[in-house]
Amino acid sequence: MKSVLSRSLLLFLLGANVIIGGDITGKVKAVGAKNSANAVIYIESIEDKKFDPPKDPATIDQKNLMFIPHVLPIVAGTTVKFLNSDDVLHNVFTPDKCAEKFNLGTWPKGQTRSFTFKNLGCVAVMLCNVHPDMEAYVVVLQNPYFAVSAKDGSYEIKGVPAGKYTLKIWHEKLKGQAVSVEVPATGTVTANFEIRR
Amino acid sequence: MKKVIVALLSAGFVAVTLTPDASAIPAFSRKYKTSCSTCHYAAPMLNGFGKAFKNNGYRYPAGQDPEMRKEDPVSLGSESYKRVWPDAIWPSDIPGTTPLSVWGVGRINYSALGDVKWGFEIPHEFELLYGGTIGEDFSFFGEVEIENEDNETEIAFPFALQYDWTPGLHIRAGAVHADPSPTHLRLTRNHYNIASFRSRNGWRFRDDHYGLELWGAGNGAKGRGGFTYRFGIVNGQGLTDINPQKDFYGKVTYKVEGLGEIGGTEGGESQTSQFYIDNSLTIGGFFYKGTASKVGVADEDFTVLGGDVDFWRDRFIANGALMYMSSEIPSTPDRKSLAYYLQGNYVFYPWLIGIVRYEWEDKDTEKDAVKPVNAIIPGVTVMARANVKLVFEFKKFLDEENKKNDTFGVQINFGL
Repeated sequence: MKSVLSRSLLLFLLGANVIIGGDITGKVKAVGAKNSANAVIYIESIEDKKFDPPKDPATIDQKNLMFIPHVLPIVAGTTVKFLNSDDVLHNVFTPDKCAEKFNLGTWPKGQTRSFTFKNLGCVAVMLCNVHPDMEAYVVVLQNPYFAVSAKDGSYEIKGVPAGKYTLKIWHEKLKGQAVSVEVPATGTVTANFEIRR
Repeated sequence: MKKVIVALLSAGFVAVTLTPDASAIPAFSRKYKTSCSTCHYAAPMLNGFGKAFKNNGYRYPAGQDPEMRKEDPVSLGSESYKRVWPDAIWPSDIPGTTPLSVWGVGRINYSALGDVKWGFEIPHEFELLYGGTIGEDFSFFGEVEIENEDNETEIAFPFALQYDWTPGLHIRAGAVHADPSPTHLRLTRNHYNIASFRSRNGWRFRDDHYGLELWGAGNGAKGRGGFTYRFGIVNGQGLTDINPQKDFYGKVTYKVEGLGEIGGTEGGESQTSQFYIDNSLTIGGFFYKGTASKVGVADEDFTVLGGDVDFWRDRFIANGALMYMSSEIPSTPDRKSLAYYLQGNYVFYPWLIGIVRYEWEDKDTEKDAVKPVNAIIPGVTVMARANVKLVFEFKKFLDEENKKNDTFGVQINFGL
């Protein structure tokens, strides 16, 4: 069901003239991390195409003293809604210039505050000045062909238009080499990553 | 400036003898996997949320504790056993990991008049702290404290077991809150003067008081501010009472605005937030009626009345307390005493806090023979990490008689 929805969304975003292509799958091996989760694998750029942000905002929840999700990749121009699901006051701010060093103040349980991330390439850390242990990242990308790795390192980017691309990886602490992939019109291409300090 | 510092140092600094009872509990950090500053302005001083956590019986507000704790407790009986009671023990649970913490205190003292000018009293004190909850409605807090006092080792082991009926009603047994000042949760190395002020037979608020206490708290209108109260009966002096009379005490406070006394987020919308901000005004009143005994002297009946105020505004806090004591010892003239302090602190950075306190006390307000004592205490607190604290502090006496007692010290604290 989720897969159907994703494809429908992609169709909506890319317009009727876009041919849904193949998938990119693979595994991330994180050396020096507790597990291989929360790496963002993304196509760096698809030339000659402009990708509009989704109409509906993305959401980061503040629940049980954690930002959920910990890493949120978005298309530039996407609005992110920050929800407080706890019965304690939270805050969201970022020290990063690319996100205008915003500070959304504090708000009660069940309410949200929003910010629109306009700057392509921005990696902004989200912090709570009431709970210094809370941390999340918003990664602002050019196109919607991205995935976040699971704990076991697996990832899947679906419905990528056929073509040759540079596939990159971002992790909050580890670094990895970009790889070139050629996505077929149908079927799957595999790209594995090893990331380390 | 240099001259001022040299003059202060030359005035002669001696070691201050204090009994800091820390209440920072890293065990709670582990239980909820959160930073010390979730609850502490600068450990052990509590912020608004830390007070709400305490007022909920060391639980997260609004019944959220089961969701917020990151470690599962060990069951001492399944939930369904409640239906079987009284033919079974009421079910409960205990913390999933050992609820122990360590609080270390070391001091560097300087005494210009002493033979040994510099002293490295590291460690000065070691505390093994424990605290947590037992099931839905019991909680506990205690410590084993080992302290150096002029190369003699002192040991204390206060604890309290608490029945938490609701945030509005707790029953506490053991070490209770007879001291109306926040001296056990203070920012400074020096205790508050009202906590250290002694009656003629040696009683003082600062010493641990053992007994029974009813206390509680509730939010004010629209979930903001609110009230606290506590009333108790205690031995007065020591674990084994040294006289047949019991002492009584009470304190009530009301907080205007700021985080609710028992937490929650209603009405908490703001453009500014920081763990050390809780814009509010709290006023309180307290009393203590007791009997103090001393070997070779008749018993002293004394009464303490007082009030305090606590104002928080963004990075600034101003507070103060005033205490009046009347003392009666048969065959001696009655004594009336007055003491107060005023304090301001300012957060330059979340890790750098400046503080200045003025304190004044007059042991006998009706006799000019006893001169009032007054002092000013400027200091700086540096939070090197959320659990590592350095305190640099002067105590400069302003009255002639005590000028030679000026003190300077550096205190290092850490919690694990």
